[in-house]
Amino acid sequence: MANPGIIEIIDVHKRYEVNNEALHVLGGLSLTITPGEFVSIVGLSGSGKSTLLRLLIGLDRDYQGEIRVGGEPVRGPSLDRGIVFQEHRLFPWLNVRDNVGLGLENSKLSVSEKERTVREHIELVGLRGFEEAYPHQLSGGMAQRAAIARALVNRPSILLLDEPFGALDALTRSNLQQELQRIWQSEKISMVLVTHDVDEAVYLGDRVVVLEPHPGRIERIVPIDVPHPRERKDPRLEALIREVREAILEHRS
Amino acid sequence: MSASRETARRAARVAAARAYVLPLALLVAWELSTRFGLVNTRLLVAPTKVIAAAWRELQQGGIVTPLAASLARDLGGAAIGSVLGVLVGSVMGVSRRWEHALGPSFHAAKQVAIFAWIPLMSVWLGTGEVAKVVFVALAAFYPVALNTFEGVRSVSPSHVEVARVFAFSRVQVFRRVVLPGAAPSIITGVKVGLVYAWLGTIGAEYLLAAAPGIGNLMIDGRESFQMDKVLLGVVIVGAVGVIISAAAANVEARLLRWRS
Amino acid sequence: MVQAISAYKLDETGRGIESARWRVPRSAGRYAWGTLFPLGLLGLWALAVERAWAPPQILPPPRLVLATIVDLVRSGELLNNYLISLGRVAGGFFLGAVLGAVLGGAMGLSKRLEHYLFPTFNALSQVPVLGWLPLAMMVFGIGESLKIVIIAQASLVPVAINVLQGIRRVPPQYLEVAQVFELSRRQLLRRVVLPATVPSLFVGVRYGLTLGWLSLVTVELLASSEGLGFLIVWGRQLFQLDLVLAAIISVGVVGLLLDKGLALLESRLLRWRPQASWSGEKVVAS
Repeated sequence: MANPGIIEIIDVHKRYEVNNEALHVLGGLSLTITPGEFVSIVGLSGSGKSTLLRLLIGLDRDYQGEIRVGGEPVRGPSLDRGIVFQEHRLFPWLNVRDNVGLGLENSKLSVSEKERTVREHIELVGLRGFEEAYPHQLSGGMAQRAAIARALVNRPSILLLDEPFGALDALTRSNLQQELQRIWQSEKISMVLVTHDVDEAVYLGDRVVVLEPHPGRIERIVPIDVPHPRERKDPRLEALIREVREAILEHRS
Repeated sequence: MSASRETARRAARVAAARAYVLPLALLVAWELSTRFGLVNTRLLVAPTKVIAAAWRELQQGGIVTPLAASLARDLGGAAIGSVLGVLVGSVMGVSRRWEHALGPSFHAAKQVAIFAWIPLMSVWLGTGEVAKVVFVALAAFYPVALNTFEGVRSVSPSHVEVARVFAFSRVQVFRRVVLPGAAPSIITGVKVGLVYAWLGTIGAEYLLAAAPGIGNLMIDGRESFQMDKVLLGVVIVGAVGVIISAAAANVEARLLRWRS
Repeated sequence: MVQAISAYKLDETGRGIESARWRVPRSAGRYAWGTLFPLGLLGLWALAVERAWAPPQILPPPRLVLATIVDLVRSGELLNNYLISLGRVAGGFFLGAVLGAVLGGAMGLSKRLEHYLFPTFNALSQVPVLGWLPLAMMVFGIGESLKIVIIAQASLVPVAINVLQGIRRVPPQYLEVAQVFELSRRQLLRRVVLPATVPSLFVGVRYGLTLGWLSLVTVELLASSEGLGFLIVWGRQLFQLDLVLAAIISVGVVGLLLDKGLALLESRLLRWRPQASWSGEKVVAS
């Protein structure tokens, strides 16, 4: 695979038909994400952020343009690309270990290798000791950690995150943002985060892509040139947060 | 903390105690009314007489064997009916096309009282064991199929998406997402199916040719005008029904431990 | 109306998109599919008769069954038996539904009553028609009152259970609101509990009617000299399977009509109900 982990989005258009009306959700989006980069995507509702992720993960193949990962066009889901949704979507009838192991169902590892990597990933997200717990016994934050472990268990070259912390309370959210940063630094894979939370986007991302809605297009890309690990109170971050907010609100009308 | 738990436990005990008031009162009234000749004792036999009949039959082996025979038909037929029910319910749930094709006929046939099929079955399948087991299977089939259908239908699409992200094949999705997701409904269906199967067993024994069984016990009693025997049969039917339901609920709680 | 994709069969085009393959007007498509199975069965039946897989006494030709149905209709016999059956159902069902609503309501409103009555009620309700029949026959004979009583008993159970559950499921938030506004017990019942219970009542009523119809036919099979159930048995005794099949089909059709009719009534009367269940979003209109 040529340059694994590089994501190339080339002039992507997506139209929905709702009640016989055409909805132009993405209008010519082009973006390249380098391997190991953390890209945050923000924008008002209707800018197509989540749609873009669904195209990247391969759940949706109806679009115009090209999407390539590692030089290969995206033709459907692949174990090389993981995703964390806003709802944890853990299977209620499986405990944490089996839920994380679900990702390895179609992997070619041996049984002992699978067990080992499941253990490692549960440890990675800080859930050691909770392997036997069922989802209904977990808090929202813990369940989302399990979902992250599941998404990473195949060691994909890319992790997509669709508003992963949107359903959590502020304290848990802040905690998990820090965890995500730690995990990213440890695993060194590309991550694409879609979020409503500008603070989160700036805190985590190497670049912040601001989308404008109707149709979704890149309005601006704000580079975040602050070295990791980052302090929340860093004045450089605060300035960039303001800049990104203004860029979003420019298109309120 | 323990204070409120104590009150809760006491409340539960009060509730349990109250539950017995009415049945005991009815039993006493029943006994007294037969003693004082308030009812036709040819029809309504005293509970003590029923217990005496039970004791008598038990000693003559007149309970265990028929009970075993009835249960064999019941569980055999219920198993067959449940398997078929899960199959048909799954097919209808998974595919809209099949739902539209089978649904109307399914619902129309559901309106026919199950015992209405007996005359037809007695001609087509005779009146032996085969007919009885088929009838029991039919009785269990409907609730299982309906509940399976509903369970499969209400499987969460977001879970199916997760499976697709991990490149699951259609078969894998069915086995690992749809079936477990539908399991609570399927089990409910089997529970109801067991109830209907037991009732169907007794009914089949009653209406088809004589053979060892509880239904036969009741027929015997009626024909020899031994009302105590008939009532004994009724009591056994009820008791076994309650036991089967309780056992099923127990298994359900165990299988569905993952639910909150 | 474009046909929606089955939730299980997620399409490549993704969420919310209608696939081009399924662009059929919904109602036409559904009815067309629905006739497939009966037609197939009919075809198989005709084939079996033609190939004589079974003697005509056991498997009468479809044509004969149709002719029998036509005959019965023409001679008024079918109508007569329909009316007799329906009359019994109406009487017994009405009685059972009212009693069931009262019983369920009483148990729902008073925890104490529920403790005393429900366990016994639950146990007794497990006894099938066939179980009560011998006893009931001895007490009520085999006249009309027998049928009414049996149907009433069958209809009573689901109505009572559903009313009880309906009252139990009134969201506690509503009860708290009533408390805050210091509503009297009567106001509480009329303004909050009753409207909240009506949907459950209807569910129980529909089940009750279905069970009532099933019980009636069962009783007619065993202890009657007229009615659709009786026709089935009579046909069997005369070894006229065309009559048996004609009666069975009639039973199914009538049952279906009863159920659909009630469903229609329910949707009309409960038009104010939101599609979602009573999970607490909508406030009861005063």
